[in-house]
Amino acid sequence: MIIPEFEYLSPQTLPEACALLAQYGDSAKVLAGGSDLLVKMKDGLMQPAYLVSLKNLDTLKAIRYQERTGVIIGALATHNEVMTNSILQEKYRSVCEAAHSMAADQIRNIGTAGGNLVNAVPSADLPPILIALDAKVRIVGPNGEKTVALEEFFLGPGKTILGNGEILTEIIIPDQPTTGSNYIKFGLRRAGALAVAGVASSVTVSQGTCQDARIVLGAVAPTPLRARQAENVLRGNKISQELIDEAGKVAAEESKPITDIRGSIEYRRNLVNVLTRRSLKAAIEKGHV
Amino acid sequence: MVTVMKKGKLHVVNVTVNGREHAALVKANATLLDLLREELDYTGTKKGCELGDCGACTVLMDGKSVNSCLVLAVEADGRSITTIEGLEKDGKLDRLQEEFINHTAVQCGYCTPGMILSGKALLARNPHPTERDVREAIGGNICRCTGYVRIVKAILAAAEANG
Amino acid sequence: MSQAITKEFSVIGKSVPKIDAREKVTGRAKYTGDLKVPGMLIGKILRSPHAHARILNIDTSKAKQLQGVEAVITGKDVPSTFYGISPARYDETILAIEKVLQVGDKVAAVAAVDEETAVKALNLIEVEYEVLPAVLDPLRAMDEEQPQIHPQYERNISVEIHQNFGDVEKALRESHVVRTDYFHGNRATHVPMEPHAAISKWENGKLTIWSSTQSPHYFQYHIARVFGLKMGDVRVIKTFVGGGFGGKLEPSAAEYVGAALAMKTGRPVRIVFDRKEVFFHNRGRHAQHIELTTGVSKEGKILGVHGKYIIDGGSYTSLGIASAYYAGAMLPLIYEFDHFKFDCFRVHTNLPSCAAQRGHGVPQPRFAFESQLDMIAKDLGMDPIAIRKVNARRPNTTTLNDLKVNSCEFTACLDKAKEISGWATKKGKLPTGQGIGIGCGGFLTGAGYPIYRTRLPHASAVIKVSEQGDTVTLYIGAVDIGQGSDTILAQMAAEAIGINYEDVRIMSADTETTPHDFGAYASRQTLMSGHAVKEAGDEIRRQILELAAEMLEANVADIDIDRRVVFVKGSPDKMLAFENVANEFFIRKGPLVGKGSYTPPKLGGKFKGAAVGTSPAYSFAAQISQVEVDEETGQVMVTDVWDVHDCGTVINPSLLHAQVEGALFMGMGEAMYEQVVFDDKGKPLNANLAEYRVPTALDVPHVTSELVDSYEPAGPWGVKEVGEGATLPTMGCYANAIYDAIGVRMYDLPLTPEKVWKAIQGRKKATRG
Repeated sequence: MIIPEFEYLSPQTLPEACALLAQYGDSAKVLAGGSDLLVKMKDGLMQPAYLVSLKNLDTLKAIRYQERTGVIIGALATHNEVMTNSILQEKYRSVCEAAHSMAADQIRNIGTAGGNLVNAVPSADLPPILIALDAKVRIVGPNGEKTVALEEFFLGPGKTILGNGEILTEIIIPDQPTTGSNYIKFGLRRAGALAVAGVASSVTVSQGTCQDARIVLGAVAPTPLRARQAENVLRGNKISQELIDEAGKVAAEESKPITDIRGSIEYRRNLVNVLTRRSLKAAIEKGHV
Repeated sequence: MVTVMKKGKLHVVNVTVNGREHAALVKANATLLDLLREELDYTGTKKGCELGDCGACTVLMDGKSVNSCLVLAVEADGRSITTIEGLEKDGKLDRLQEEFINHTAVQCGYCTPGMILSGKALLARNPHPTERDVREAIGGNICRCTGYVRIVKAILAAAEANG
Repeated sequence: MSQAITKEFSVIGKSVPKIDAREKVTGRAKYTGDLKVPGMLIGKILRSPHAHARILNIDTSKAKQLQGVEAVITGKDVPSTFYGISPARYDETILAIEKVLQVGDKVAAVAAVDEETAVKALNLIEVEYEVLPAVLDPLRAMDEEQPQIHPQYERNISVEIHQNFGDVEKALRESHVVRTDYFHGNRATHVPMEPHAAISKWENGKLTIWSSTQSPHYFQYHIARVFGLKMGDVRVIKTFVGGGFGGKLEPSAAEYVGAALAMKTGRPVRIVFDRKEVFFHNRGRHAQHIELTTGVSKEGKILGVHGKYIIDGGSYTSLGIASAYYAGAMLPLIYEFDHFKFDCFRVHTNLPSCAAQRGHGVPQPRFAFESQLDMIAKDLGMDPIAIRKVNARRPNTTTLNDLKVNSCEFTACLDKAKEISGWATKKGKLPTGQGIGIGCGGFLTGAGYPIYRTRLPHASAVIKVSEQGDTVTLYIGAVDIGQGSDTILAQMAAEAIGINYEDVRIMSADTETTPHDFGAYASRQTLMSGHAVKEAGDEIRRQILELAAEMLEANVADIDIDRRVVFVKGSPDKMLAFENVANEFFIRKGPLVGKGSYTPPKLGGKFKGAAVGTSPAYSFAAQISQVEVDEETGQVMVTDVWDVHDCGTVINPSLLHAQVEGALFMGMGEAMYEQVVFDDKGKPLNANLAEYRVPTALDVPHVTSELVDSYEPAGPWGVKEVGEGATLPTMGCYANAIYDAIGVRMYDLPLTPEKVWKAIQGRKKATRG
């Protein structure tokens, strides 16, 4: 297989990268890890005239904790770096596990956290758990930078709010009162399988009562989907099996799956129900797993 | 300074493969797999699916396993690559290679180089893996012949040698 | 009982390392795509985007003008000889002549200086198609209103089989329980890790092809035929092969198109398929739709069986006639019954062609039969193993379709599988969601007849001892595609001669330098090629003994050879080193050579299709699996599998168990995960390894592979089949275990979580079986 020809551009700095993207507009694509982009190019689904490589932007590779801001994941951190990072392991192991659930070792060493968001694939594994943890993304562009809730970032399959010349540089998981979080994915194989459905949740439980909850569904809508009604079922109520069961049922009703070769609408709704229950239970019982 | 590689033009890429430095001429759209196989003749790195789904093209890049079919050759500039040809030292096989032979972990052999390199990456980061760790580590390497039974045993036996 | 083996073996029966393992673990082993021949061009094939279309025009002018393009060819530039591998139905051509019959069919081809140029050239070829309605549903393919795919096959019937043994209607009337059930198989495919590849060189009127092949002989035969060459002017050389599983038994476009391009350009041409092309070429498992009726007595004795099949052949015939016959022929093998009716239609669809895949035609019928036998056992209140023992084939019997079975330890397999799996404490007694099930199989050890009519022996071998006598070289046409035949045959050569395994070199699978052999299919080589090797080795041994008798002044009958020592029995001081005798032989008489060949005895009955299923010997196997089912998602986790095989004398235990493990792994993939699916235009939706899911190391169960004592009189040293047999029991075995776990019967492969979940939803009330 041949990757269609392109002009390769490798800037040294972020402003240079933004300038190149602004200059070439839709004919340019960002090359981060490439595990998704190069597959699409080989398959003939994409033929950008320019690739802007971010490989020199070392500052975007770090994962760090900053007081009053939270955990900051550089967009170029690989899935394996996310998976094994000690800060995340300690604070939000659910994020590490979501990274772990992806593909296999070789791809996790190539693919990046930023790429997993920017590609806006409905079955992507990081967006649900990050949205459940109320993550923000930092976007840098020709006109400066902004921070946006990740929940607002996705517009549809392959579509995000990123404008001309803009690059997603960091993912920020803010300090939060949540007591637990979890991501469960259902794939058709134990490695190298995209999610048929994925459910992430975060909960704030105090003395057996759910103060707050966020439930995010993956692979069952054009974008990651907040199951707000299911969250309402939980919020302010005493945790019980019945309550969790009800949340699962409501989440299934809220989901908007399609039928494709990995699963039917009916089956995916069932998975949302089951996974929501399991994810909530884990988040409640095991903390940030 | 922006490095530019024009369409269709050849550019020099410097890579260290198995400890040896190479300056190779490649086009921007060449993959690391193309570079290794076609330019440098490291054909032990196999082409199985070309889309990152089978692991036959696994090599180590700065010690980490990657699918060389999904890495642009130019992105490997300045990196250190280990291919299967780099494991044998002075005529002595790597312990993993020996155990693959001892345990009959090889049938057609096409997945073997990638399998061994995934095992190598695992043992480098985790010298005492469990069976589950081994299965995880080779989860991205498809073998169609063995059912993985003897491959898992071979990697565990090589780990045993770590004491 | 097996025959007593008096002599202890020196080389066979030992797990010697594979003869090619070192080359493979170091990356030095060269597969076809790794080779570079001076002046070599890269060939690429333009493939059809339509499932069924008439080609109105092909304009190659732009492609020809592209710099670096050496040749562009269409159907007009190549021989239009029809080919196939079943001589009864040659219906495929090198490039499409008038119509394309599937997405991915071969339309035109390019040879260029590199792959990128070739791909660019393909994009410059303009093809005008008239898109025709396509046949995509095999169950409707014979309907009147469906378009006809091939002019010569009315109602799209590729082959129609009606076999009738005994009086099935009467047997069913007299049965205590009669069941009819419908089963649906899946389109699985081989997925060798190495895609098909060939390098073709045309020089001085001679065609040389390096190929990833399971049979240099059949390749040579068909390529010579299609190009109108003498077989002697076609040389096929097998390189290292990255797996075959039946998918590399016949030449593909890699050879045919590559050879055409080499002839056109006068330069060597390499064609390596990409993964999608492997799916287009296919030749994988036929999806079989089976209506199965079985009648049994009160005691569970099978009285009569009627199988009605429609099987999806896809675009071309390939080896599909044989596949269709196998689907019925092997049903009466493992259980004894006298009345059997087999009706089968293999139909053409506008989907990739189906042919032989590990267990050729047999796994899906076994799935149906093993599933139904469990249902019948339940109806009778019998244990599934008990009903199998009532019917189990016995040694030295002949099946109703005239297959002669010598050794058969099937009952011993059942007993041992029961014991090692803990069946008695588990069956029906595991917690809800967990279950245990059994499935069985049996397979031939080499087909009794070659694929085309010829009187050639099936296998032959030459062994040459070096002039120093220190090493011997085995020349053999047998084909090692990873299963380890080179190793096994080298062990056999050493054993026969009386030398060590390490002394043996092997040259195999090159039509010019090695003697004829039909190749790697139908589990034939250990027995058939093994016979030839034994005969050749025996001849060397005899010549050494005769000369040693002279040198030691002893009687030939008193001399023996073991591990290179030639000695007089009972007089340990009277001995010579093997190399000294061999060296002396060369000095006195010239080359020390032994040769051997093997032709099976005349086998089979007289009815139409009687040749299919015949074999010198048959293997038998019982497999038990344990599963856990997540009833909320339908996900099935197979935790353990116990396989017990009757495979005769074992030459190399490690390689043998590796075959069992690999075969049941392939069966597992087909049972649980694998299926090629298409959109409503006939375009495959998962022609890649992301969505066609072969199990990973994380998905496979714990496997226990065990054997029963067995000796096959028809095999050299008592050997018989193993490589395909373990694929057969698996699907039924899992379906039965799922039933035991959750009381849900699965009729439709693969047993995906969604199907299991839907079956659970459909279950009115669980009844534990």
